[in-house]
Amino acid sequence: MPMLFRLAWRDLRGSTRTLWVLCACLALGVTLIAASGGLYRQVSAGLLADTRTLFGGDLEVRSRSPLPDDVLAWMHSRGQVSRLIELRTMLMTESGEAHLVELQSFDEHYPLYGSVELAPPAPLADALAPQAGTWGAALDRTLAERLGLAVGDSIELGSARLEVRALIMRQPDRSLRADWSGPPVLIAAGALAETALLQPGSRPAHRYRVRTDAAPDDWRTAFATAFPGTDWEIRTFIERNARLGEVLGQIGSGVLLIGISALFIGGLGVFNSVHAYLQGKLGTLATLRAIGLRDRQLAAMYLIQILILAAASSLVGIVLGGLLALVGGGLVGERLPLAAASVRLLAEPLALAGLFGVSTAVTFALPALGQALTVSPAALFRGIDVDATRTPRRAWAMTAGAAVPALGLMLVIMPDAWFGAGFALALALTLALLEGMVRALRHIARRLSEHPLLAERFALRLALSGLHRPGSPLRPTLLSLGTALTLLVASTLVVHALVRTVEDTVPARAPALVFYDVTAADKDAFAELMAQSATLGQLDLAPLVLGRLIAVNGETLRDSDDSRRSLEARDEHKLSYLQNNFDQVVIERGAWWPADYAGPPRVAMEDREADQLGLKVGDRLRFEILGSTLDAELVGIYAQKRFQSRLWLEAIFTDGALDPFITRYVGMAYLDPAEAAAAQNRIAAAQPNVVSVRTELLLNEARGILGRAASGLSAIGAVTLLASLLVLISVIAANRMRHVYLATLLHTLGTRLGVIRLGLHLEYFLLAVLTTAFATIVGSALAGILLHHRLQLDTPFAWWPGALVALVVSVASLGLGAQHLLRRLRLSPAALLRGTD
Amino acid sequence: MIRLNRLSMHYTLGAARIDILREVELHIGAGERIAIAGPSGSGKSSLLLLLAGLERPGAGSVEFDGVALDRQSSDQLADLRRDHMGIVFQSFHLVPSLSALDNAALPLEIAGRRDARARAQTLLEKIGLGQRLDHYPAQLSGGEQQRVAIARALVHRPKLVLADEPTGNLDDRTGAAVGELLLQLNAESNTTLVLVTHDMNFANRCDRVLRLHEGRLTEVTAPREHDHAHAV
Repeated sequence: MPMLFRLAWRDLRGSTRTLWVLCACLALGVTLIAASGGLYRQVSAGLLADTRTLFGGDLEVRSRSPLPDDVLAWMHSRGQVSRLIELRTMLMTESGEAHLVELQSFDEHYPLYGSVELAPPAPLADALAPQAGTWGAALDRTLAERLGLAVGDSIELGSARLEVRALIMRQPDRSLRADWSGPPVLIAAGALAETALLQPGSRPAHRYRVRTDAAPDDWRTAFATAFPGTDWEIRTFIERNARLGEVLGQIGSGVLLIGISALFIGGLGVFNSVHAYLQGKLGTLATLRAIGLRDRQLAAMYLIQILILAAASSLVGIVLGGLLALVGGGLVGERLPLAAASVRLLAEPLALAGLFGVSTAVTFALPALGQALTVSPAALFRGIDVDATRTPRRAWAMTAGAAVPALGLMLVIMPDAWFGAGFALALALTLALLEGMVRALRHIARRLSEHPLLAERFALRLALSGLHRPGSPLRPTLLSLGTALTLLVASTLVVHALVRTVEDTVPARAPALVFYDVTAADKDAFAELMAQSATLGQLDLAPLVLGRLIAVNGETLRDSDDSRRSLEARDEHKLSYLQNNFDQVVIERGAWWPADYAGPPRVAMEDREADQLGLKVGDRLRFEILGSTLDAELVGIYAQKRFQSRLWLEAIFTDGALDPFITRYVGMAYLDPAEAAAAQNRIAAAQPNVVSVRTELLLNEARGILGRAASGLSAIGAVTLLASLLVLISVIAANRMRHVYLATLLHTLGTRLGVIRLGLHLEYFLLAVLTTAFATIVGSALAGILLHHRLQLDTPFAWWPGALVALVVSVASLGLGAQHLLRRLRLSPAALLRGTD
Repeated sequence: MIRLNRLSMHYTLGAARIDILREVELHIGAGERIAIAGPSGSGKSSLLLLLAGLERPGAGSVEFDGVALDRQSSDQLADLRRDHMGIVFQSFHLVPSLSALDNAALPLEIAGRRDARARAQTLLEKIGLGQRLDHYPAQLSGGEQQRVAIARALVHRPKLVLADEPTGNLDDRTGAAVGELLLQLNAESNTTLVLVTHDMNFANRCDRVLRLHEGRLTEVTAPREHDHAHAV
């Protein structure tokens, strides 16, 4: 064996130049897998390792109002309890600027796990305590940056003026959605009372966190037994852990799939690279055989070479990927609590990525190796063409054997094994589909090239024969460039559809301001304040009443045997009036009532709720609102438009039906967006309990997210494209000798050089068109599935931007490929006459 | 038909100059069969390349039907080969991805002839390869491959056939059969043949035998049938 190593090493030293594509393909794929795997490990270890801390306790009991004393006493007797009151409200700066925040008030037990880090460092209770009659507040760091606030500045929350005492550097239970739903502001319980924001009709969340030695599920069972029939929501950190793990697993798997796809595409580069390399080595193979090296030894020698290169390339990928994971961890760590990167933490994902790289290389190299080893030295000396060789069955069997550990490794690497299995299945189906397509295309190309109509178009016939001849670049091009372009087309179409929805639909119909929590008493004053805006075109104020659906056609849902129905009866729904259809819902079944309707109450319900309960138009519904009941006939079922709807109303009643229960309103104001900030500040100053959101900011945020998504998708496209271009180079390299030979022969037999060049350009153009068509069809199908089923966007999307991108990229890359090949196409008729081919 | 006027050719290898052909004079009449013999490296293949317009001479000229090849563009030379020349190689050089029929039809296909396959099929059947039309080169024996190559060289009825050691890669028996076929077809089509060979038996069946040595061409045998042929 050492002899084989020495021989392999010596032979390899002079040959690495032709194998650079193999190295580049592997290094690229392994880098991506190592980077995404390493980053995922840091995030999951940070978020899942101590979910108690992130969750804030072992359990949480959540309620819209304070829990009764007897319940609290029961809880205190079974663990340590910390109460948190959460409320979305407006923060006003001294300059009069208003911003939506998540106000959080704690008791002295907070936090039950972990600790809050402030800047300047101080105990939380001390920072929030009153000083010289003024309460303190700790601000989320990103909020302070956004509003230009610093320690010592004064802010207003409701009717209280507070002093910024500290910035929150780390909050153990900071919501993962804080940047989107409202950054947190921490104040003491006494300060909350002073804000006067807790009014009848306001909707604070009372969250009671419990730290207990008991098993969380047992604790919950005991609680439910002690207090049956309550509507309090109880969650355990284990549930949170499972859900978070599931979501993280899906995200991590999605990101890892990019790397795995790139490595798979790169695998084709490995095959072509090894194929081209061994073609050039046939003389050496023959010589080694002639001097007595056995087949098995010969195979081992070249396998050793592939393993050496695969290991070295994977090592490069591991190092680069590890560095990228560290850099990515640094960036993500600003937003999420990450586990500190360590050798121990990263060793496993990096090692798995490297192993996956090596096993992929072996899987893809074996068919080429098997094929080369079937060439007998005698045949070589007789000059029989290497096209006569075929990969033997034994080599295919070994390839299948090598693919099994590669597949196993992929399933181990993927956080969500089902995701990985789905990918493998999709890959197998795609390959089968592609193989069918390739065979059909080759058949068509063959028939066309023999068609009498093309008799006088030799260049076109040459191009068509290039598609069906053995070693045609059709299959590897469709597989590599086609796959990359498919991803690019799907990404382009999804981003284009989203951008178009946001840019075209929303701004034309969006109000400049959306208001929540306008009290019934303040409604007229609010309308007057808004009327001061010179550009106000329309102001819609609709009641927002909370209630539960308790019976359908006389059947009490709570007693229903159907668990979905009984659970539904516990849910609190948002009820309102149609009010110019201000939430822009679309009736799908039944119909709205006439504008002047004045009969018994009627109701329309949101489709998802209605479908969950199996409701039909004509059903008699009974709602429970503030202890009273309200009967109404279901006359319509409506759908919400994801980007237009803001309030997510679950039921819309005929005017007057909700009047006895109205305590507050929600509203939308249509005015010049430039005036929206001033109107928002004016409302916040006069009615601090009113929460307002500027649509423009949300749109900007949405555009920002879309921009980042587009950048991310472009990066995915670029990486897969890079992998496919490497494959293209390897295809050209593997076929260069054949092209040179054929071109020389044809020229010698009397074909003009221009015709040969034209034939080559046509061949690559046909490849570009076929690749574009393939990518457009499959990419559009993918985008359609994603848009309609995952994002539930019903708007039809245009396929042409994807096709255009695919055409431009494929023509450009294949055009470059053709140019590259032509530059290296040096004809040598003398070689034909001198008996060497 | 072919006239070589003071034709010279040389290669430079570093500072050294290697003369391949030195002021070669030759006239070949239409329908004449010429064999060129000579040791390896004597320049026989270079002479064929010059005759095919695939290389340019260092000095002198090659005239084909009164046309000086060195004044023709690459495209004009390609057209000339396409329409008036056929070439048979020692290593056959069939296109591996084309069937025997498609290989034989190739010159007519290049010329855009609609009857290319039909004519090629007729010729292949004539030379006993009617059962091998759809076979690929790898599925044919060496002798069969060379017969397909001969069919390819003659299918478009060229004025001139250049054959470079056509039996060199074949065993004696097969080589003799292939040589016979080449000469027979050549005679039937009254094509001019320039044959490079080591096989003096084969060479002697030509009208004239020339020997290329140290860049100079000398006649070995006297002209036999063609009184219009000239010695060097």
